[in-house]
Amino acid sequence: MKIQNVVMAGSLESNDVLVTLRPTDNDKLFINLESIVQKQFANRIKKIIDDMLNEFNVESGDIHVQDRGALDCTLRARLETALSRAEEGR
Amino acid sequence: MFIERRILDVSKIESFLENLGLKLPKKIDYTVGVFYGKEIVGIGSISGNTFQGIGVDCRFQGEGILGKIITHLIKKTLEMDNDEIYVYTKPNQSINFESYGFKKIGQCELAVLLEWSSKGIKDFKESLRKLSLDKPKETSCIVMNGNPMTIGHLELIEKAAKESPWLYIIVVEEDCSLFPYDIRIKLIKEGTKHIKNISIIPGGQYIISSLTFPSYFTREDELVKAHAQLDLDIFVRHIAPELNIANRYVGTEPYCEVTSYYNECMKNKLERFGIKVKEIPRIKVNGDIVSASKVREMIRLGKVKETKRFLPETTYRFVISKEAEKIRKKIKASDSRH
Repeated sequence: MKIQNVVMAGSLESNDVLVTLRPTDNDKLFINLESIVQKQFANRIKKIIDDMLNEFNVESGDIHVQDRGALDCTLRARLETALSRAEEGR
Repeated sequence: MFIERRILDVSKIESFLENLGLKLPKKIDYTVGVFYGKEIVGIGSISGNTFQGIGVDCRFQGEGILGKIITHLIKKTLEMDNDEIYVYTKPNQSINFESYGFKKIGQCELAVLLEWSSKGIKDFKESLRKLSLDKPKETSCIVMNGNPMTIGHLELIEKAAKESPWLYIIVVEEDCSLFPYDIRIKLIKEGTKHIKNISIIPGGQYIISSLTFPSYFTREDELVKAHAQLDLDIFVRHIAPELNIANRYVGTEPYCEVTSYYNECMKNKLERFGIKVKEIPRIKVNGDIVSASKVREMIRLGKVKETKRFLPETTYRFVISKEAEKIRKKIKASDSRH
């Protein structure tokens, strides 16, 4: 899948995460992670993002993840919602 | 729970913001309020792609209300098809926005400009860096609007190019001038074809744009100071280092107060960052100072032929051409200074 619309899921409230997907003009895939627990959990968060992107076969897009300390399940749920919305072209 | 409705009465919002020491923003596209019972406890507004008038009642701070407001406003702004979001705020409020993923891009005593975007200024800097790779190290730059390009501009460019190993001409891209951007840059390119050591680059939205310098185009005089300083801060922090700029050339400004204030600030700010500001006196033709605003004035008065002595061949040819008829009409009908 190529991300073709700007879609969002989640929020910037504490213990949540805001996922923003945007199209890219050169068919590349960018992942931009910001987290308040970057030092402790960056690798773990990145792995979840990668897994979800693989699950949805994402080939290109700008994946912007702003984590405010979300649990793994929250992060997965937010990513899944955003990616499903992108799939539906919303 | 969000309820959407038309706001009929802004007085509540106004008095809420007043208590926080903020003013009701102008030109609001959308406002969100957070209520506790019937009482407003937090508020935020969108104007175009900037957030304005965001504040939370101090009794309710630390409860995540700001996060709610910001998230909601971000979603709304994206729905309105704006992909990049900006906030002007007081320096002591900057940290609140930074904790929600906003990046500080410019700062002065009175205001901070922050950006929410996954690329934004990073991308712009990257494109400048690429441009500078095969260029000499100590370069010069001129930022110009060229509305339209005169022999004064040309003289400034020739002088700077002669004194520098490389010269960047950064053209103001904002389309608020009587001559549209694509014409302005075209005339600069054509008029400088004979000079070999220059690059002409679009200023993007980070040099004298409605983003960095909104009051340049609207002139709300009290804001001019803050905006001039923000614009220059972005220049020294982000643009000059990527292009290895050691000198910035400007022409003296006898007419426009905003530009002359901007030039004054420039000397202060840039020299603190080790960039030399070289102010070159304007040239005269038969005792008349050459300026683009005079050229526009002549066109306004219908004396198109008289502009010849102020313009390089290339610009003059355009000004009298059929292609420029629309622009000439626009100038005649307008009383804009730009």
